[in-house]
Amino acid sequence: MTGHATHTNTQNPFRKRRRPFEALVKAALFASGALSIATTVGLVVVLTQQALLFFFDPQVSLGEFLTGTAWQPQLGAFGIWPLILATLITSAIAMFVALPLGLACAIYLSEYASARVRGTIKPILEVLAGIPTVVFGYFALNFMTPLLRNVFGDATVQIFNQASAGIVVGILIIPLVSSLAEDAIHAVPQSLREAAYGMGATRLEVSTRVVLPAALSGITAAFVVAISRAIGETMVVAIAAGAAPRNFAFGDDSMLGFIVNPFLSGETMTGHIVRISGGDISYASIDYTSIFAIGLTLFVMTLTLNSISRRFVARFRETYE
Amino acid sequence: MRKRFGHVIALLSVLALVLAACTATEATTTTGENRPPSTNTPGPDPITDDGIDAATGLPVIAPIDYSGDIVAMGSSTVFPLSEVVANEWIDEGGPNITIDSIGSGAGFERFCETGESDISNASRPIREEEVSSCESIGRIPIEFRVGTDALAITVSAKNYFATDITLAELAVLFSTAQTWQDVRAEWPAHPVAVFSPGTDSGTFDYFVEEVFDEDDAPILGSGAQFSEDDNVLVTGIAGDACTEGDASSTCAVGYFGFAYFVENEDVLTALSVEGVEPNAANVDAGAYPLSRPLFMYSDAGIMADKPQVAAFLTYYLNNVSRLIADVGYFPAPAADMQSGVDALKEYWDSAG
Repeated sequence: MTGHATHTNTQNPFRKRRRPFEALVKAALFASGALSIATTVGLVVVLTQQALLFFFDPQVSLGEFLTGTAWQPQLGAFGIWPLILATLITSAIAMFVALPLGLACAIYLSEYASARVRGTIKPILEVLAGIPTVVFGYFALNFMTPLLRNVFGDATVQIFNQASAGIVVGILIIPLVSSLAEDAIHAVPQSLREAAYGMGATRLEVSTRVVLPAALSGITAAFVVAISRAIGETMVVAIAAGAAPRNFAFGDDSMLGFIVNPFLSGETMTGHIVRISGGDISYASIDYTSIFAIGLTLFVMTLTLNSISRRFVARFRETYE
Repeated sequence: MRKRFGHVIALLSVLALVLAACTATEATTTTGENRPPSTNTPGPDPITDDGIDAATGLPVIAPIDYSGDIVAMGSSTVFPLSEVVANEWIDEGGPNITIDSIGSGAGFERFCETGESDISNASRPIREEEVSSCESIGRIPIEFRVGTDALAITVSAKNYFATDITLAELAVLFSTAQTWQDVRAEWPAHPVAVFSPGTDSGTFDYFVEEVFDEDDAPILGSGAQFSEDDNVLVTGIAGDACTEGDASSTCAVGYFGFAYFVENEDVLTALSVEGVEPNAANVDAGAYPLSRPLFMYSDAGIMADKPQVAAFLTYYLNNVSRLIADVGYFPAPAADMQSGVDALKEYWDSAG
C-alpha cells in the first residue's frame, strides 16, 4: 500500500487501491449477516400477522388471553396461563439442575482439572450436547419417570409429568451452561488468581471469592441463554410432560397439590405448539392461529430475557486490560 | 501406547470387513425376497387360471409391473393395516408407497383441498362438505371399504376393579368425573386420568358420536390428554395404574382402535361395553356397540393418471381380508366391500 502510494504521488496520496476480491468478500459476509437478520424479521412478521388474526377474532379477548387460566381452544377458552405455568415449572426445574451442575462443572474444568482430565472431559460434554433432543425425550419417559416413581411412589408421580421432563431438560443444557461459564471464567486474567494465591488463599477461596465475582457478568449471560434454551426446548416436554394443558381455577384447586405440582402432567407452550401443528387440528381454524399467539408470547418472553441479560452484562462487566 | 493404537486399527479393520460381509449377505437375501415365484400366493385366496382373484373377481396384480409413487394419508387407525398391505406390496417388488398417519380429517384436507395425496385413509365415511371441497378441485371421491374396527375402552392391566362399563357411564367417565366413584358408586375413589386420540382423528369423532351424541364439548372440557400418537395413549393408560388402598393414586382410562389394544394386551385390559366383550364374534354379529367401518378413498382421475394407484387398491382389496386379522381388526362383510370392487372392475374394464 505505502509502496504503491509513492508512485501515484502526484494524484491523491490517500486514494485506496481497488481490490475487487476484497469487495466481493465484504459483500458475501454482509449478505450472510443480512440473511440471518432478514430471517428474524420474516419470522416476527409472520408470527405477528397470524397472531393478529387470532387476536382480532371475535371469540378472543386480549384480557382473557393474558389472565385466563383455561386453555381449551375448541371450546373458545383462550387463557394462556396453564401453558405458561407448565413452561415455567419445567424451566425452573431444569435451571435447578443445570445451573449448579453446569457451574460446578465449569469451575472444576477451569480451576481444578489437570490438562489431561480436561482434555478427556470436555469432548465427552460436547458429545452430550450433540445428542438429539428426541433421545432425551425418551430418556425422560423411560428412565427418569420410572426413577421418580420409584422414589416418590406411583401414586404421587403421574406417568407423564413435568418434573421428569424438567430434570432431563436440565441435563440437556448442562453442556451449554458449563461451556459458556467456562469461557467466562477463562477470561479472568491469570494475574488475579496469582495475586490471590500469593496472599495464601486456597483453591476454593480463589474460585469462589476471586474468579466467580470477576466472571459474574459472563456467567449471568450463560444462565440467561440457558433459561431461554430451557423455555424453548420442545421435544423433551412434548414426549414426557403430557398432552393436555392443565387448566385450573384459583380457589377451587389447591396451589401445591395441583396448580404447581410438578409430578402431574402438563403441557408447555412449545409442547402444545408441536402437538397442534402435528396434524391434530385443521389449518383454517382459530385453534391453528392460536398457536401463533403462543409463539409470539414465547418470542416476547425470550426477547425480554435476552434484553435483561444484555443490560445486566453491561452493568456488571469487569474489564481487564 | 503407539503399539496399542496399532492393535485398535487392526481390530477396526477386521470389524469393518466382517460388517461389510454381513451387509453383503443381507443385501442378497433381500433381493431374493423381492422376487418370489409368481405362483406363490399363500393363504385362502386362490387364483383362477386367468389371473382373477376368486374372492373379489378383480385381476390379480403383480406389483413388480408397476412404477411411480403412491401417496396415502389419513387415519391413524387405518395406518397399521395399510402398512401391512404396503409391506407385502413392496416385498413383491411394487413401487414405493408413503403412508402418513395424520388423522382422518387432516387426511381429507390433504386429499380434497391441497390435493397432495392419491389415497385418503379414513376411519369414518367422508362428509358432505369434504366431498364438495374435493369436487371443487376436480376430484370425485370413490369409497373402498376395507375392514371393521372396534374401539377398545382400555384401562391398565394393573387396574383391579374395572371390567365392564355402560355407554352412559362412559359419558360420565370421559367428561365430569373427578374420581371413579363418581362413575359407579361401588368403584373406589381414585382420581381419573383420561387419554383420548386427537380431535382430528376419526377415532375421536366416532367416540364422540357414539358416547356423547356428537357433542364434543364434554370431553374437550374434561382435561383429557389428547394425542394423535397412539403410543402416547398406551403409555399413559398403562402407566397411570392405581394402587389398591391408595386413594390418591390415579387410574387412567382411554380408548383407541382395537389393533393398538391387541398389540399391547400385556399392559392393558379392554372393558366390556354394555356387557359385550370386544371380540371378532361380537363385532361380526353387530353386538359390540363401539365398532365402525374403515375406508380408503381415491378418485377415478388419479387412477387414470397413476395406474399404480389403481393397481395398489386392487391389490389391497384382494389381500386385505387375509391380512387384517394380524393387525387386530375384523374383515368387512363382502357385501359392504362390493361397491369398491365394482369401481375397480369398471377401471380395469375400461383400461382393457
